[in-house]
Amino acid sequence: MASAPASRSKAVTALLVAPAGLFFFFLLVLPLVVVIIYSFGARADAGGYAPAFTLENYANLPARGQAFFNTLTLAPLGTLLTVLFAYPLAYFLAVKASPNSRTLLLVLVIVPFWTSQLLRYYAWIMILGSKGIPSWLAYLGIADLRIINTPWAVLIGAVYGFLPLMVLPIYVSLEKLDKRLLEASADLGADSWRTFRQVTLPLSLPGVATGSMLVFILLMGEYILPQLLGGGKVFFIGNALVDLFLQSRNWPFGAAVSTALVAIMFVTIVVYMRFVLSRGDVRRAALV
Amino acid sequence: MSDDKIITPQKFMDELRRFQKGSVTRRHFLGVTGLGLATAVLGSAVPGLRPRKAYAALSGTVNLTTWPNYHSQENLDAFTKKTGVAVNMNVFGSNEEMLAKLQAGSTGWDVFVPTNYTISTYKGLDLIDALDLKQLPNYDVSTQDQRFTSEGTIDGTVYAVPKDWGTTGFIINTKNVTQNPKSWKEFWDLTKGPLTGRVMVHDYQLTTIGNALKYFGYSFNSNDEKQLAEAEKLMLEAKPHLFAINSDYQPSMRNGDAWMSVCWTGDATQLHRDLPEMQYVIGKEGGEIWTDYYAIPKVAPNKEAAYALIDWLLTPEINAKEVQAHGYPSTDARANKLVPKAMLDNPILYPAQDLLTNLEFGAAATLTNPLRAEIMARFKSA
Amino acid sequence: MPLRLYAAFIYVFLYAPIALIVFFSFNAGRYAMDWQGFSLEWYGKAFTNPIIVKALVTSITIASCTSIIATTVGTLCALGLERMRGWLRQLFDALIYIAIMVPGVVIGISTLIAFVTVFDAVNPTLEAIGMVRLQMGLWTVIAAHVLFNLAVVVLIIRARLAGMDRSLVEASEDLYATPFATFRQVVLPALMPSILAGLLLSFTFSFEDFIIAFFVAGPNTTLPIYVFSSIRRGVTPEINAIGTAVLLTSLTLLMLAQFLLRARTRSR
Repeated sequence: MASAPASRSKAVTALLVAPAGLFFFFLLVLPLVVVIIYSFGARADAGGYAPAFTLENYANLPARGQAFFNTLTLAPLGTLLTVLFAYPLAYFLAVKASPNSRTLLLVLVIVPFWTSQLLRYYAWIMILGSKGIPSWLAYLGIADLRIINTPWAVLIGAVYGFLPLMVLPIYVSLEKLDKRLLEASADLGADSWRTFRQVTLPLSLPGVATGSMLVFILLMGEYILPQLLGGGKVFFIGNALVDLFLQSRNWPFGAAVSTALVAIMFVTIVVYMRFVLSRGDVRRAALV
Repeated sequence: MSDDKIITPQKFMDELRRFQKGSVTRRHFLGVTGLGLATAVLGSAVPGLRPRKAYAALSGTVNLTTWPNYHSQENLDAFTKKTGVAVNMNVFGSNEEMLAKLQAGSTGWDVFVPTNYTISTYKGLDLIDALDLKQLPNYDVSTQDQRFTSEGTIDGTVYAVPKDWGTTGFIINTKNVTQNPKSWKEFWDLTKGPLTGRVMVHDYQLTTIGNALKYFGYSFNSNDEKQLAEAEKLMLEAKPHLFAINSDYQPSMRNGDAWMSVCWTGDATQLHRDLPEMQYVIGKEGGEIWTDYYAIPKVAPNKEAAYALIDWLLTPEINAKEVQAHGYPSTDARANKLVPKAMLDNPILYPAQDLLTNLEFGAAATLTNPLRAEIMARFKSA
Repeated sequence: MPLRLYAAFIYVFLYAPIALIVFFSFNAGRYAMDWQGFSLEWYGKAFTNPIIVKALVTSITIASCTSIIATTVGTLCALGLERMRGWLRQLFDALIYIAIMVPGVVIGISTLIAFVTVFDAVNPTLEAIGMVRLQMGLWTVIAAHVLFNLAVVVLIIRARLAGMDRSLVEASEDLYATPFATFRQVVLPALMPSILAGLLLSFTFSFEDFIIAFFVAGPNTTLPIYVFSSIRRGVTPEINAIGTAVLLTSLTLLMLAQFLLRARTRSR
């Protein structure tokens, strides 16, 4: 008799997680399994998938080496730059801005997110094109500067597109910072740089870790950004994948590239969590 | 047989005069001359006489999948006004992309614009319908230029009707490009040299690989592994010097970011019309000549509207307006009669015969050749 | 002071492109970025263009369904996971992280392949028994969007649950409230801010998504797909007008929400 409420409670738990479980099974596990199966197949004559068992698609991965290289260098670099640009702003908002204007300023960071990302990148095509910034720089004597369709344009786009995603978590972790700590540190004679290094920075690391992970994940899978600001020249794995499915129609190879991408991300993130998020406080905040 | 059913020419003219003077009604005139019956029979075939209610049955939207800068918006608006069917236009950069989307299924396209060499593949994969020519009264095979229009018909069945034809050359902005290139050899050499960072090639294996093959004097359609390897090497050497790889090159040419680009006839017409310094060159080694067609996917959701749109666009008057807007020469003699003479004399649309003779139509095998697809992908991801 | 200057610089950086978009929505000319004088005509054109309006409606439908389903399922899941221990819970944790980690482009491709495979397998049978063929549509986009947003919602709700004051729940139970009453009167209000955040976030992600819809939308055109297609053939100010209108609407909603929240805090 005593087990009745317990089993009822179990049934409730099962009911609560069942819908999510179904979604995960049918839209995540099943598709990924299908992709893995396809990655061992062969390309049908007119394109698409033909059943087979071959490792050729994996052996062929070096043919997309440059795309992997671009992604694996530009995604971390973009993440780093975004942290560098976002941090001072988050610090300003959390510590220096007056409480009255703080909400407004925060909202202003989020608002760009509400205009089509595609349109904002389109605007950057204009700004970075030769009628934009390069033509102004020409007045200053810096002639013939090319930005658009270079890795630099992609990096600018990355910082621009993901800055809000980075500012918010850093802001949240800095906001919790007790200002009295800063005063105490100052009272103890620490200069402001030392206070920052020994008090503020460690406290804000969880936010930095969360933001970096988010931005890194999104950058690793980018398609739009390299397509629009890289002019089809700066190629990410995302672009290679879209081409494999929508131009070469080589589904099995595309499946192999997808599997490799997911594997790389998996390893990177597990390692990242091991080393960066191993501190208890960081992990808790990183879950937000 | 009663006499009054047969009408002599004399009597016909008399009746016509009486009708014109207003002494008999239209109904009487049509009745006695037998034209009423003829009108009813011909009505379904002659577009001008077709009852308007044929359009009344149409509704919704028609999805037109096509290439950039390829239609007159005014014509499409007029179609919408006349039929109530809104035209939703998608643009693509390559035939491969079109094929891939159609192969993946449920695209929702009603009309699309494949190029000559792809039609047999679409038919082979059972992706397109044989066309019901009764629903295309404005298509007249006898006025088509047969040099360009044979590939739409397979084993006597029409699967696609021609839209227009053109060539693939390159465009140069003569304000910036003073070297006066005339050949694909010069095109690629300038790309790697003095024009570094200012040249665009198509995001399209057929023309990009094909014109790299031309650098060595090989066939535009070559599927020979050794020749393709040489072309790939050239493309990879040129890649760091390119401004972009994009089939929609007009915006970059117009704003001065790019100075030279692989280019189709119509884009050249449009660019030259607005900016006279833009000059079109057909490589003297040759290159591509092609015809684009209208076709209807097997799974098109709104086939009635699809036929109506194709038929509308093939109406000689409308077609002539299309030609003036997009600047590609029509394959239809009736439309050509309505196009201004200046256009018929324009060497961009109608290049000199000696340049045309070197050009090749794309070959079906290039579309499905996995090596070509892979070379293009390697080039882009390099 | 330099910090203030820096902040100003960042705001300029954030808003310059948006200013360009808004500015050129009033352009009389045909090319988006080629100023020909002031005009409102593109606003009229945009909102009478049935294709743009339909794309907008499609996007709003997808985003609304996605955010409601993802938030409901995600909240339930987070609540359930609180009560779970052992390997099953670890499995769910792993799935949630994988869902977040797998890039959108891979989600798009893998769900496309899975849908196509399933359709090919099922459709002959369905046709044989006279039922409708399965094909790509709004529901495939919504399903794929829910998957991604679901995981985000679970994380948000869970963070809130972790920070929640357990003593309130215990007090409620001590007062012999039924578990449901406890949930409704104690847990739900405490979770409300994160539920709203989940709704808002998943709506935004779904509304903005291009790459997943690009693969699984079938014949449907969402607003991002329409915009992407327009960018490829040269943007007209019509698109700028739509962008500006969407921006204005969301700004209004955001301010309204802010206002309501403030009013509520004050009335307490």
